[in-house]
Amino acid sequence: MSVFTSTLEALTRQRGVRASLIVSESDGLIIDARLRYGQDGERVAALAASLYRKARLSASAARLGSVAFLQLDAERGRICAAGRPLHWTPDGAIGSDLVIVVVADPAANVGLIRMELLKAVETLA
Amino acid sequence: MKVATVEPWVEAPLTRYVDDARARLALLLHPSGQVVAQAGFTRAIDVMTACALAAAAHATAGELGRRLDGRAFRGLHYSGPAKQLYMAPVDTARGAYICLTVFDQASSLGLVRMYFDELSRELAAAAPPLTSMREPALALDFERELNANLSALFGRS
Amino acid sequence: MVDDIRRWSDELAHDPSSLVFLQLGEALRRQGQLDVALKIALRGLERHSHDVAAHDLVARIAVDRRDFMRAVEEWEIVLRLQPEHLGAMKGLGYISFRQGRLDDAERFLARAADGGAGTAVTNALETVRRSSGGAAESWLASDEIQPNDLNDSNVSNDPNESTDASDPSHSDDPNDPQRLFADLLVDDGQTALLLDANGFVLGGIYMDGDGMDVSQEIGAQLCGISEEVVRAMRHLDIGDWGSITFETHAAVIAMAPQTDGALVVVAASRATPLGLLRRLLDRCGERAASWIGAGGRES
Repeated sequence: MSVFTSTLEALTRQRGVRASLIVSESDGLIIDARLRYGQDGERVAALAASLYRKARLSASAARLGSVAFLQLDAERGRICAAGRPLHWTPDGAIGSDLVIVVVADPAANVGLIRMELLKAVETLA
Repeated sequence: MKVATVEPWVEAPLTRYVDDARARLALLLHPSGQVVAQAGFTRAIDVMTACALAAAAHATAGELGRRLDGRAFRGLHYSGPAKQLYMAPVDTARGAYICLTVFDQASSLGLVRMYFDELSRELAAAAPPLTSMREPALALDFERELNANLSALFGRS
Repeated sequence: MVDDIRRWSDELAHDPSSLVFLQLGEALRRQGQLDVALKIALRGLERHSHDVAAHDLVARIAVDRRDFMRAVEEWEIVLRLQPEHLGAMKGLGYISFRQGRLDDAERFLARAADGGAGTAVTNALETVRRSSGGAAESWLASDEIQPNDLNDSNVSNDPNESTDASDPSHSDDPNDPQRLFADLLVDDGQTALLLDANGFVLGGIYMDGDGMDVSQEIGAQLCGISEEVVRAMRHLDIGDWGSITFETHAAVIAMAPQTDGALVVVAASRATPLGLLRRLLDRCGERAASWIGAGGRES
């Protein structure tokens, strides 16, 4: 059990979700994960974190701002990722290196997954 | 990035690894410290130094693991302000090698480890079998072989 | 900027009636912290209800949050308090145009132009008068209004500024590769590019909020994402990739691969539903495929 248990379980409960992970964007390492049998979590973590970081840096360089949500669709699955960029409050800066990643079936309801992901991102410290 | 190697079967797997993992520097060496292949280095003295230090660090980590865990530690990771280092052994039919990888923010530890696992499998599959047992390296032979390898890697043979 | 925000926060905490809330709110707005910026701006407005800059700040935050009704209310207050406020006129002109109220857009932009708002406003006004909706995107394309566009104190009166007659957004040549997707982009703020495998632009155009063609820069940056996707696909065992979509602060972006490593990139305002964006991507992909197939690359 970790502080992310309820977050990951809420995501994994969504129909069609094969894996949900909390990963470190800078290291590409798993912080916590819920994986279905056969899912290579370490591989997904490393590649999804790298992809999310690339999207974030490219969007920033293109002056499009921070990336809130990312969705990659492929023939046999899809990957969704969301992170919480560094931002400011009157009390100071809040940031997170953490990215939430979901691997899902092609037919999974991405709209619901997206909603759950964005809700979950708010809980990241 | 171009890979220079004294053993041809190493070139393709190591080239793929360096490109996929976006390594800044890579070294493949014998546990004794003899260089087998390198990528990203521009001076022989740097390769020599890195090999000597890597072999020593690997030996130290191995001994530490044996004392703490009953078996040698397999992977070593150091994180610096701008660059990181990952070093781990590769087992093949021709014996054990050590692979040292230096990377920066263009890559990540997770990616390097993932591609390193692939490199290990490819090197193990590509390594031709040893036709004879390797003699223990004598100091004179070691020096000569080291110099020969460095010359081969930096095109001075 | 970090230190400034902290300093202003401290000052505001120390003296809630301080006008520093204007700087703090604007800084947070630029950082994309819209909810916090709005909270601070509204608290400041409670104490300074007749402050023009405060109402203007709330209006600009409202635009960023896509709350156009609120933005209109605030800018109307600004004009009641300060009838010559150029930022309010430009803002109301922008929103009127978005909502298809071309007469209102013309009225506000004309007042702004008469007040010396600069060539960008003059150009947009001419465009509204020509009732050419697509070309007006040269000023209004990006849904992200740049703060300088609406800030009264930043109006440019540079006599060296000239209307660029070669502005591609005014191209009427149907064979112009920049117009490759023009008829598919039905909503303001939508834009599409076709990139080759090296990230160079083959067709389409991407204009920023200042009316500048930034197609090449955007294309080069976003092309790097597809390279990363290709690398990841080799190891993820989920087949070939079909598209990638991501939501940023300024826009929603979707990309899909084409033949020979080409890439279609579609961008739209944050308010665009993702399903609609995907349909647009599909249509642009079909257009790109037939254009490439017809040898469009060689023209």
